[in-house]
Amino acid sequence: MPTGDVFTERQAQDVERAIAGAETDTGLHFSVYVGPLGTSTREKALTLHGALGDQAARSVLVAVDPGLRQTEIITGADAKRFLDDHAAALGALAMTTQLSAGDLAGGLVNGLRTLAEHARHPQTLHLDQP
Amino acid sequence: MSALLVTVLASPAFAAQHRYEGDDPGPGLTAVETLGLFVGIPALVIAVVYVLVFVGTGSRGPRYRPGVAWRGAAQWWGGPVDAERAVQSAQPTHGGGGARAHW
Repeated sequence: MPTGDVFTERQAQDVERAIAGAETDTGLHFSVYVGPLGTSTREKALTLHGALGDQAARSVLVAVDPGLRQTEIITGADAKRFLDDHAAALGALAMTTQLSAGDLAGGLVNGLRTLAEHARHPQTLHLDQP
Repeated sequence: MSALLVTVLASPAFAAQHRYEGDDPGPGLTAVETLGLFVGIPALVIAVVYVLVFVGTGSRGPRYRPGVAWRGAAQWWGGPVDAERAVQSAQPTHGGGGARAHW
């Protein structure tokens, strides 16, 4: 999706770099959504995660609704093996500390970094796709 | 202390009333010149500093502030190619995990 006007070019690059780094470190697919999540934020986030299609099972979706001040982290069935709910909660916590200070991009970068640190695992032959 | 202050402040006023031999105060300022010197130039300096400070932030567009309504467009990194259609036909994920937080 094209870069909106909310993030500066520099901030968008930081987030993109954080996503690329997390994917390299973990072998999982990371996706970041910033925008409205409606009234039932969990349902909407699950639908967004489902929209990732074939990649969904090994995807981690970080969804942030700045208006509602709510963040949702969704892990697919395969991704969950490497990133359990406790680790996801730590990632959410890492984000909210900066988000509450108004640093949207910084919160996303920090959250992705925390998630990637916990999801890091040695590549297993035949089990991990290249 | 205050006596010294009064003396310091009063001396130019005193000098204006008492001419000494050889001094040349020159012609006085007109009202326009006075305004320009003591109001116009400071205002110009303030304007220049203001422009220098806000020229960067003003052109940046909406910015996130906690507690203020969100006006930005939705943004999705690493999402599907045709996001709108993909979301419409998507089923919510089952069997996954995750976490949520409010700030």
